Amino acid sequence: MYDLIIIGGGPAGVAAGVYADRKKIRTLLIAESFGGQSLVSADVQNWIGTKSISGLDLAKNLEEHLRAQEEIEILDGDLVMKVEKLEGKSFKVITKNGKFFETKTVLVCSGSHHKKLGIPGEEKLNGKGVVYCSTCDAPLFGGKVVAVVGAGNAGLEAARDLFPYANKIYLLIRSDKVKGDPVTFEEVKINPKVEIIYQAEAREVLGKGFVTGLKYLDKINNQIKELKLDGIFVEIGSAPNSDFVKDLVKIDQWGQIVVDHKTQMSSLPGIWAAGDVSDVLYKQNNISAGDAVKGVLNIYDYLNKNK
Amino acid sequence: MTKQVIIYSTPTCVYCKMAKEFFQKNNVKYTEHNVAEDDAAREEMVNKSHQLGVPVIDIGGEVHVGFNRAELERSLGLR
Repeated sequence: MYDLIIIGGGPAGVAAGVYADRKKIRTLLIAESFGGQSLVSADVQNWIGTKSISGLDLAKNLEEHLRAQEEIEILDGDLVMKVEKLEGKSFKVITKNGKFFETKTVLVCSGSHHKKLGIPGEEKLNGKGVVYCSTCDAPLFGGKVVAVVGAGNAGLEAARDLFPYANKIYLLIRSDKVKGDPVTFEEVKINPKVEIIYQAEAREVLGKGFVTGLKYLDKINNQIKELKLDGIFVEIGSAPNSDFVKDLVKIDQWGQIVVDHKTQMSSLPGIWAAGDVSDVLYKQNNISAGDAVKGVLNIYDYLNKNK
Repeated sequence: MTKQVIIYSTPTCVYCKMAKEFFQKNNVKYTEHNVAEDDAAREEMVNKSHQLGVPVIDIGGEVHVGFNRAELERSLGLR
């Protein structure tokens, strides 16, 4: 029986692991991989204490910091599929590889996953011009015409990743506002390859073997329009990985675990959540780490009270 | 018998880097093709995998898209 099982290996999970170990809480951390969603970022410039770091190096640093702790047990390369409530106050955590563990408390730091457009043609042409990892695949679009869908930070960064390669970059924005950081948007806006289309809603990915275009709704004129394209970079945000606790705790309409923002505790005592899987207002590495620490300190108090 | 390992990659692809580090750690010899620059290799990759995303890893004729450590370990007979 563990005192705590931490689910996730991003900034939240790792921060929790480090603090839990220093509090000598008997802990198991289960992570499919380390680093969280920043793993694929070419350059992270807002991880406090570090001027500039690649997503991969950030992931390595996090893993190294976690593994430097003396007592914590780590199960990586496996995925939590289900958390069940047992008699009394404990829980059972079940993984994809069929392992299961009992614990007094759970801290969910499972983050979120890339959202898809959910429009015709997208699934069929996934990997065939439809791209979800811009740093990976941008170099394959040398001299091509592409669209980036989404204008959060990920969308703006995807456009930036494409600057050295693509000939033409359409940036499709669903509303009349840009959600990403103004600093990055300025860079994108002044690049002569970029054409911004506001109030555009992607409707259909076109193409037989590979992408040939995109149909979208121009919401200003209420007209369906078509772009001829070689690639579509989908960056419309993310959806929380909360399925495995959805029968136990309160989840909001976006799938986020509702927490008490003072303690990170969910609606069910014994389960806490932090980072992008929680209903935190701002999804940021630094915030995820801080919130997870808050959660562990509260779990420490809870365990002491419930000895 | 050692299987021939080929990785098709781009210089900025983090999963490609992770795959190469995995090979190095396990003493697996591999040939790398940078498909951002090598058009012939890019065509070869598309023919093998019927798609355009990287990494594509060919292990003795078995083609893998993306980096999945467990899958590569199995394909290489490392476990």
